[in-house]
Amino acid sequence: MQVNLLAFAQARDQLGWSERTVVCTPEDTPRSILARVAPDLRVKLMRVAVDQEYQSWDHPIGEASEIALIPPVSGG
Amino acid sequence: METHITFTTAPIAIPALALPSREIGACVEFQGIVRETEQDRQLAGLQYEAYEPMARRHLSRIFDELAALHPCAVVIFIHRLGWVPVGEASLFVRVISAHRGEALQFVAEAIDRMKADVPIWKRA
Repeated sequence: MQVNLLAFAQARDQLGWSERTVVCTPEDTPRSILARVAPDLRVKLMRVAVDQEYQSWDHPIGEASEIALIPPVSGG
Repeated sequence: METHITFTTAPIAIPALALPSREIGACVEFQGIVRETEQDRQLAGLQYEAYEPMARRHLSRIFDELAALHPCAVVIFIHRLGWVPVGEASLFVRVISAHRGEALQFVAEAIDRMKADVPIWKRA
């Protein structure tokens, strides 16, 4: 299966891209995917959203189609 | 409750006041304005971005949850994206209700929750 990996704000700056497709399995977690795709990314302060819902870094992604890296938000 | 959520790269145009009924007694509005000084730095403006589908989904949920606590008739939420110069509004919120208490609390809590959880970013 494939998921779309999205990077916003500081995550995009660090990675140098905003979107890419990643081959993965339902057992993969956001953390395991990031370890393959961007092992150097500093995720300490970031949250992750799976299909537009905040999710644990260590929760299997199942049949999700979109994973987003969410640096600290600052709307308003 | 009637909910309008808008993201725009154009300057925020404040919508004309439309009252859904004659039972409306309160209209509370908030505008967030870009300041010149942020943490001792002089700015010309701020650059905003959003993960818009997720932002819409979470704002809708926040507004639904707040409506259960503070019943209101209308919420209008407009957030500007892209470059916003100093002195211009990045955010406009209008809440309309029968009594002021609900609308005041709704606006305050909606902004707090947006700042905590809704995927919108500002950068110098």
